[in-house]
Amino acid sequence: MIFGLLALHALAFVAIVVAGDRLGRTAFLLAALPPAAAGAWAASRFGAGGEVAATAGVGWVGGLDLRFAFAVDRFALLLTLVVGVIGTAVFVYAAGYFAGPRPGLARLAATLLAFGGSMLGLVWADSIWTLFVFWEATSITSFLLVGHDTTSAVARLAARRALLVTVGGGLALLGGLVILGDLTGTDRLGAMRGALEAGPAATVAAVLVLVGAATKSAQVPFHIWLPGAMAAPTPVSAYLHSATMVKAGVILVALAGPVFDDVAVWEPLGAGIGIASLLVGGWGALRHVDAKLVLAYGTVSQLGLLITLLAVGETFAALALLSAHAVFKASLFMVVGEVDVRTGTRDLRQLSGLWRTMPGACAVALVSGASMIGAGPVLGFAAKESAIEAVLDLDGAGGALVAAAVVVGSVLTAAYTVRLLAALFRPARAGGERVEVAPGRAALAGPSVLLSAFTVGSFALLGPVSDAVAAAAAVLDPQAASARLYRWHGVTPALLTSVGIVVVGTVVGLAAARRLHAAVPPSGRGAQWADLAVDSVLVVARRSTGRVQHGSLPLYLATMALVAALATLPFAGALDSARWYRWDSPAQAVAAGLVLASALGAALVGSRLGAALALGGVGFSVTALFVVQGAPDLALTQLLVETIVVVGFVLGLGGLRRRFPPTGRLWRGARLAVAGSAAAAVTLGLLASSSNPVASAPRAELAARGVEDGGGNNLVNVVLTDVRALDTLGEVLVLSVVALGVLALARAGRERRRAAEEVAAR
Amino acid sequence: MIASRSPIAQASVRVVVPPTLVVAAFVFFAGHNRPGGGFAAGLVLGAVLALRAMAAMPVRVPATGALAAGAATVSAVAMLPLLGGGRLLDQAIGAVDLPVLGTVKFGTALVFDAGVVLVVVGLVAAVLEGLGALVDDEETP
Repeated sequence: MIFGLLALHALAFVAIVVAGDRLGRTAFLLAALPPAAAGAWAASRFGAGGEVAATAGVGWVGGLDLRFAFAVDRFALLLTLVVGVIGTAVFVYAAGYFAGPRPGLARLAATLLAFGGSMLGLVWADSIWTLFVFWEATSITSFLLVGHDTTSAVARLAARRALLVTVGGGLALLGGLVILGDLTGTDRLGAMRGALEAGPAATVAAVLVLVGAATKSAQVPFHIWLPGAMAAPTPVSAYLHSATMVKAGVILVALAGPVFDDVAVWEPLGAGIGIASLLVGGWGALRHVDAKLVLAYGTVSQLGLLITLLAVGETFAALALLSAHAVFKASLFMVVGEVDVRTGTRDLRQLSGLWRTMPGACAVALVSGASMIGAGPVLGFAAKESAIEAVLDLDGAGGALVAAAVVVGSVLTAAYTVRLLAALFRPARAGGERVEVAPGRAALAGPSVLLSAFTVGSFALLGPVSDAVAAAAAVLDPQAASARLYRWHGVTPALLTSVGIVVVGTVVGLAAARRLHAAVPPSGRGAQWADLAVDSVLVVARRSTGRVQHGSLPLYLATMALVAALATLPFAGALDSARWYRWDSPAQAVAAGLVLASALGAALVGSRLGAALALGGVGFSVTALFVVQGAPDLALTQLLVETIVVVGFVLGLGGLRRRFPPTGRLWRGARLAVAGSAAAAVTLGLLASSSNPVASAPRAELAARGVEDGGGNNLVNVVLTDVRALDTLGEVLVLSVVALGVLALARAGRERRRAAEEVAAR
Repeated sequence: MIASRSPIAQASVRVVVPPTLVVAAFVFFAGHNRPGGGFAAGLVLGAVLALRAMAAMPVRVPATGALAAGAATVSAVAMLPLLGGGRLLDQAIGAVDLPVLGTVKFGTALVFDAGVVLVVVGLVAAVLEGLGALVDDEETP
């Protein structure tokens, strides 16, 4: 079933890509089918018994014992339901959001579908490596989604920021997972529980995993990527920032929490990150005036709350809130998108009076907002109540701190929610301009209505929801199996706290809404700093490249020759003059003399062509040396190479003057020094190597293998094409790449010259 | 431009090239048991290209195509054994009875070597083009 659902995603993806923009908005409806199937499957499996609903696996790299392994337990089932249902709603909503045919819709639908499939793979993963692969897949697809509008510089910058932060965090996560796998000897998170012993390595792993989760879930200080990601179309935001992308980090913390139970750093660091995000996000949401940014910061804040709860071990409350948050945040994003589409703005300072013109959206927003605050007969109330009860029960100073932070954070949540709703739907100010509203569309409003109906309905039928969450939480924390959500559990300290939170938050929110027209949104300095850091890396890279790749051929040659000369210096200690002898045969002396004479000629002759020919003379003399030595293969190759090099030189000289330009004494001295040191280094290296002959060349063995395996009698070639064919393969590929590089450079240069000539001609 | 359009040079190249191609083929097949092989054969063919360039005759070898084909050939020969459960670069050797030549041994190394020929030829063509030594097709008479 798991592979079937993944294949369904892949199939729909291919279908949309192939059909392209001809599909128009239908692409989104087609894309809604796979998540709907996944959600339906998850819902149908909930009733069935058993710990694990489905498992699947396929080998990947046998030698490394690496497998794509999936196992859907109750926890994964709950998340599948959330991802599938919200995904279906978002795709239908997207079909309403994009009116009329637009280029790139199919690309958006396909990418969003690929993202949803990756998210499901992440949720279902059993092996940490499978999890990591899908984790990175969500990073990459979300990069494409944020940067969907490729013509917008803002979107591209935001996409780059999101990619760098999340992929950087992915790198940290990979490090943490490698350590985890190494310490526990397994790649299954389930099997790791209880297998990890506290220690420095485990601490490092805990920190790395938390960093990975914090980048993905946009937690402080990595939250800087999330506001920019609002450059994506609203359906994308509704999906990524309610149920999926940012939840991946929360899921990771939930899964890894039981593993890191004994690691001291896990709880304080996790709670610290969560609390900081809860407060920073809430404060940011209270100050922004773009409705989408308010929701984005609200997401930072809510995820901070979830991570705090998970870090202190309140799994049940966290999962209840996670489910409620996915539903109300998605529908709030949808309402803001609808407002954006129908009025043309998301700026809270320009909006008002929508309760009269958009009553449906207003009702949805009120229900979802109530769920976000945790007030009224909605799912969010029951979830929030269990969270507050959980943190009030925490022990010690740390517990008190967490409780205080959660209360303050909840007040902020209530305040920014009230401010947002008041700004959108308050009666129009007297004398203020009326906001023009375009007619609504069923697909635009429908999904959010259904989601908010669920928010209310699930409160009425709280039993099954409570059971599902408890079963999911029990996978991670056996004690959570008996936990329940309550519609009403009497006048308790938790209830009184909730009432206090809502009252204070409402007062603050209304006051903030009244001063909205004078509000100055924050400048997003963190994101600017991050961009500056990236840009400065690029600047440093460009400058240092400019320094190193200066383009002066003589300097390159001199650098190479001098470095090589220095590298041979250590060999001076290995010289042994007792092993030196003059020659094998006097004919070698003749050939060597020819080499020397040609080399001198090349250095002294004044004509370029003469020098090229003299260089060829050097090569041919070396060929003679090989022949004398009895190496016909080498001689043949040398002869051919030398021929082509000479011809190449002659052809290449075409564009140059016939004679070398006159040189000054200083320049000539420098060149002599470089050439002399290179010559000395080569001499030194050769003398040193003949001072230390290898014990015995493996000739006989190679010859036997060559005839047997290679099927040839020419040992040299058998070595090249069979015995050491891997070397040849590498060399051939390197050669091809180099040649392609030469071609590309030459063609680019020629085109630039041609363009310059055309400009000059005009 | 040193390349010369002299009719003498062009006529000489026309005469020299066919025997050179035969030599290249010989060097290629000889490589298994005697000096020669793919690299040398590729160089001989490269020399043909260089000669044509010298005589300002068009060189119709697409450098990019030859390089790509060569690299693809060697990679394919290298990886094919993996499909059959073998190891990278395992060689298969067979023998065929041909009418005139008698029994001919044939190893996949020969195909590998053919890929090397293509890469070397492509390299020479690329260098010639890079040097700006090639004349355009339409310029020649």
